[in-house]
Amino acid sequence: MMLDLLLLPFLACLVLAGIHAYLGLHVLARGVIFVDLALAQVAALGMTVALLAGHAPDSDAASAWALAFTLVGALVLALTRRTPGAHEGEGDGAGVTVPQEAIIGIVYAVAAALTVLVLDRVAQGGEQIKQLLVGSILAVTPGDVGRLATLYALIGVIHWLCRRPLLALSFGGEVRGARAWDFLFYLTFGLVVTSSVRIAGVLLVFSYLIVPAVIGAWLAPTIAGRLVLGWTIGLVISAVSLAVSFAADLPTGATIVAAFGALLAAVGIVRGVWALGGRVRREGRRALAGLAVGTGLGVTVAGLALAAFPHADHVWLDALERAFPAIQAPFLTAVERRVAADARESIARGTRELSRLRALAADAQWGRRDLPPEQRERLRQFVVGRDELVTGDALVLKTLAGHARERQRLVLGLPLAGAGLVLLVAALRAGRVLARR
Amino acid sequence: MLCLLVAATLSVAATTTDLRDLVHAVGGDRVTVESLTDPRHDPHAREIHPRQLALLSRAALVVRIGLDHEPWLPRALRAAGTTPRDVDASRAVAVLDPETPRLRADRRPHVHAFGNTHYWLDPENARPITALIAEALGALAPGDRATFAANRERFLRDLQAGLTRWRAALRPYAGTRVVAAHDTWPYFARRFDLSVLATIEEQPGVPPSPRYLGALMERMKQSGVVAILAEPAAPAALLARVAAGSGARVVTLVPSVGAEPEATDYLALFDVNVRRLTTALAR
Repeated sequence: MMLDLLLLPFLACLVLAGIHAYLGLHVLARGVIFVDLALAQVAALGMTVALLAGHAPDSDAASAWALAFTLVGALVLALTRRTPGAHEGEGDGAGVTVPQEAIIGIVYAVAAALTVLVLDRVAQGGEQIKQLLVGSILAVTPGDVGRLATLYALIGVIHWLCRRPLLALSFGGEVRGARAWDFLFYLTFGLVVTSSVRIAGVLLVFSYLIVPAVIGAWLAPTIAGRLVLGWTIGLVISAVSLAVSFAADLPTGATIVAAFGALLAAVGIVRGVWALGGRVRREGRRALAGLAVGTGLGVTVAGLALAAFPHADHVWLDALERAFPAIQAPFLTAVERRVAADARESIARGTRELSRLRALAADAQWGRRDLPPEQRERLRQFVVGRDELVTGDALVLKTLAGHARERQRLVLGLPLAGAGLVLLVAALRAGRVLARR
Repeated sequence: MLCLLVAATLSVAATTTDLRDLVHAVGGDRVTVESLTDPRHDPHAREIHPRQLALLSRAALVVRIGLDHEPWLPRALRAAGTTPRDVDASRAVAVLDPETPRLRADRRPHVHAFGNTHYWLDPENARPITALIAEALGALAPGDRATFAANRERFLRDLQAGLTRWRAALRPYAGTRVVAAHDTWPYFARRFDLSVLATIEEQPGVPPSPRYLGALMERMKQSGVVAILAEPAAPAALLARVAAGSGARVVTLVPSVGAEPEATDYLALFDVNVRRLTTALAR
């Protein structure tokens, strides 16, 4: 079941990872991070204009329009490449070089606005254009994957044949006919992005493009090393997040993007800890001053917030109490503790019964169990009623937590703020001593 | 003379094309009525257009779907600076799924917090809605009450003929199990005795999870679901995937007058939908 459903999306993810991990290296080196969003939006604008001309959104004519617009977008980006130092320091020193990211942002905004304006004239198919930017990785067909793989293999070959000028352009080197090579780069890039976005949506394509490249830049010194690392990351993240999205019942595309984010954060934290460890070895314990300042500040704010607004959402305390109910127990009276235990038990019982009733209702609805309509209606009302009981018990727990907070505000909040303050002051002093040396 | 004629007609703004048609059916040539929205746009999120403000500022009456179907309307009325007489058509009908999601423990997605708003898709609901409209129009133009009543009678006769026609066409398919792309068709399905077992996208725009999709296609196969009811704007690739995985056919129905060119008015809307359904189910 799971394999049936996820095999094609997985293959599609691999195809995406293959080309985007490579193009991401270029995009990151050139510092044109949002170029894929801009080109995808330009292609969507082309598709919209095709609708205005009376073509169906999935017709060849619409694809041709999208391609033509991508071509123009690529041309604009090739012509506006930042020429290093051309205007800097001229005349009275007021000369400024406009980074290409500015042009990319403008292209994106204007293309998006024009799409809205055109869509206002031809609403038919407007939703399809929106879906074009959202994509649906679960709904890929074998034809989609085949077409993508062929196109990307072709573009990969072109990039291999022209690797010298293209790599030199992106990674800083002198190339003759830079504009023409730039046009080739943006054209192939635009083709890749617009076809990927159709299948997978803007967010997913952006993640496959940038995240492996960033992690590669952090961890691998050579371009080949970064590419291999990027492909590995793409493969692992695709497989893991597809499995997670199935097991945990989550939308697939969003899960993949979140997994990329989590990986990036994990690598970042490990790198940070590593660097800190190095500083500690070199400079001794004082290197930890910055971390201590941050921790002290955080603890002080958390303590003061608990003392000042006991009924606000204190997420850290909620999580602690959920993990260790013993933290809350001392702040409740004996009666309240009994009520809380009852409510917890009642929620557990109610949730079990609800899932049983829901399964029964689903069976009846899908015709696997015969229930007359009036019994089905009674079942529905019963489920709703049970649902509200469970919600009510959850409300009881919340009220009790509120009582506990009222007592925690001084006993827990003020000491916490004090401890944080002490840590903060000590760390600041240590930092100052370090700075004086 | 022309001025007098123009002044003599009542200006009405309806929030949807379906309500516009019902107002027109009752008001006839005594009212000028326009829809504030284009049925081909997304009904859930909408910016305010200058045209809407112009329409609202000269309208003596606003007819709306109510519930939470027009979150933009209060803002538009404030911007237009007018307070026309207000008809909330949802007051005339029995609303389905009215459970408030805030009371639910599991917080499942629920687009329509106060009940499903697609009640115009039950043609029987046109009777109480037009009664409400006739009452409001009569209060604004007491001299035309008789005309409004006669117009409404004529419309209801056509509606009755249509209902007989549509019921007869769909009778062979009574009890047919279908799945819907979005939660748009409960009123339509109830009237014509179709059984909508599930929706593919519980929240429009949030794609379903692979596990939900897998279970759905499996159940559709087991339960012999033959058709997927979809709106023109439903995600085509996703529906094609579900159709391929379950053996059901996608039937694109028109949710509002004018959402597709064939659905020229309120009665034609049902003619189109019934024809598409019978064609698909007969295969």
